[in-house]
Amino acid sequence: MALGLLFAVLGLGAAWQAASYSGAGGHYPMVLGLFLTLCGSLVILRAARAPVGAARRLVDAPANMARALAASIAYVGLIVPLGFYTASALLMLCLPLLLGFRRPLYTLVVGASFIVLVWLVFSVVLEKPLPAELWSASRFGGD
Amino acid sequence: MDFFTNAVLAVMTAGPLAAMLGSTLLGVLIGALPGLNPVMAIALLLPLTYSMDPLVALAMVAGIYNGSMYGGAIPAILLRIPGTPASIATTFDGFPMADRGEASKALKIACWSSAIGGIASALALMTIGPVLARVTLFFGPAEYFWIAMFGMASVGVMVGSDPVKGVMAAALGLLIGTMGIDSLSGQARFTFGQTWLLGGLDLIVVLVGLYALPPVLQLAEKCDLKGLSASELKLAGVPFAPGEIRRLVPTWLRSSLVGIAVGILPGAGGNIAAFLSYNAAKNASDDPDSFGKGNPQGVAAAECGNNADNAASMIPALTLGIPGNVVAALVLSALMIHGLQPGPQLFHQNPVLVGGFMIEMLLTSVLIFLVGGAAATRVFAQIQRLPGVLLVPAILVLMCVGVYVINGRPVDLWVMLAAGTAGYFLEKLNVPLAPIILGMILGPMAEQSVRRALLLSRGDPLELLTRPISATLAIATLGMILWPLVKAFRRRRG
Repeated sequence: MALGLLFAVLGLGAAWQAASYSGAGGHYPMVLGLFLTLCGSLVILRAARAPVGAARRLVDAPANMARALAASIAYVGLIVPLGFYTASALLMLCLPLLLGFRRPLYTLVVGASFIVLVWLVFSVVLEKPLPAELWSASRFGGD
Repeated sequence: MDFFTNAVLAVMTAGPLAAMLGSTLLGVLIGALPGLNPVMAIALLLPLTYSMDPLVALAMVAGIYNGSMYGGAIPAILLRIPGTPASIATTFDGFPMADRGEASKALKIACWSSAIGGIASALALMTIGPVLARVTLFFGPAEYFWIAMFGMASVGVMVGSDPVKGVMAAALGLLIGTMGIDSLSGQARFTFGQTWLLGGLDLIVVLVGLYALPPVLQLAEKCDLKGLSASELKLAGVPFAPGEIRRLVPTWLRSSLVGIAVGILPGAGGNIAAFLSYNAAKNASDDPDSFGKGNPQGVAAAECGNNADNAASMIPALTLGIPGNVVAALVLSALMIHGLQPGPQLFHQNPVLVGGFMIEMLLTSVLIFLVGGAAATRVFAQIQRLPGVLLVPAILVLMCVGVYVINGRPVDLWVMLAAGTAGYFLEKLNVPLAPIILGMILGPMAEQSVRRALLLSRGDPLELLTRPISATLAIATLGMILWPLVKAFRRRRG
């Protein structure tokens, strides 16, 4: 029901927004928005007509999923302030611990090897610019 | 013939050859890890190919695709855990064989069957592709609009278990595809005053989020803290009986044909090819009751069928620009990254690239014979000893670095995270993700085609239906959308 409602509202919003566009550029997204609303309404209708059963669990292990998602959000948020490799190293060390893995040496060896591999591929071989580290010279006006 | 001669010369250079070998190995490794899949691996790989030669980039895609489809058989046989969705049918007879001490033999059959299926599929691509490309030169904007609609409808209806949700996902993808500046009128659509949205949402950013984050969150949910012990990997060798390999030949031939036919059909994937091939082998067998109890024919059928789908699924993608499955959509993205427009013109404008990719699909299938041997399989099986929780942060790091290097914008990381979180919940609610991506790819093509067709006909919408090919395609599209409704109506009456 909620899924259908979400899509129906999304479609209506898109159609309403598209109505303000001038010319043919607005017709196509408006039709798509209305079609999305129709699909969402069909899902709502089916859900309403379906027999009421036991609620199905959406997430099998909510605590682990929430920990992984929170760590992902924190990681993305820290990439620019801390630097790519510092934030990545923190994630490699902390997330397994958060998920209950209690072998710090194993985590450290795998994490360090992986970060070195990523650094070799992206920074040394491909020379891709990544967010500078907190402690790097480029943060202080150096090279 | 020049088409393939020049392509062979281009492929037989150090770069593509090294890329094919390395990526096939990587593909087998990825397939061997339950939770990782070829779509996720290719999605992570694409951002890195921006600065590469297109033939090297496509060689990597071909290697990962073919390699991982075989790699999925390793945990399917050893643990009854399909490494990829396409290897579910391999578990039926593969695991019982491993259970009675024939794991090594089952893996060998899987390896040979995968390679043979892949080779047959690549040969089909090389023969059918150029012919179809010539036919499609006669298509106009109306035909392209209906081809895009037919592709969307078939993928929306056939992928996943709920056609309404599939079509809904396709509409969402089409709508996302309209974001940014409209190329025909210059109108900014759904940009909400944000300059970074003027170019629309980056396809690769959304794709990495949708296809890589949900498996990562599922791995975290499973919370595998141990990995496997050495004793759990039963790899004792058992020799083949006289004539045992010869008896597999009819199964290989049948499964190759089934896999190729399924591959050409938009929406049907390797898992459907594997199931259909398995059923065909069972129906043709003198001893159907032995299927599911460790019959080598079952392993051969499933593995040959799922690899025979691979290159064949590229036929509509390369000739029409219509991806039949998500990997084909990724190949189209790889071409677009390099400024190439998929479709019949590609065969004339970049024959070396198209022909080269076909040859790479063939060679990476041959490489499975080499890298999937018994000794190598023993090595690949060891990857399953790594605890799953350590893979979770590693994949997150790869996702972020891959997405960041595309445009160098932190905002893309947030878009990826949002797309991935949405993808995780949509999958849980039985909304397939493939139509969203296909909608994003096909949306601009469909919109431009319909508007061009209307401009040519001075606004007469009947022009979309009156030409013979466009009318046929329109009827096929309508039939594809109505078919699930007819089926449901019949079921209710029955």
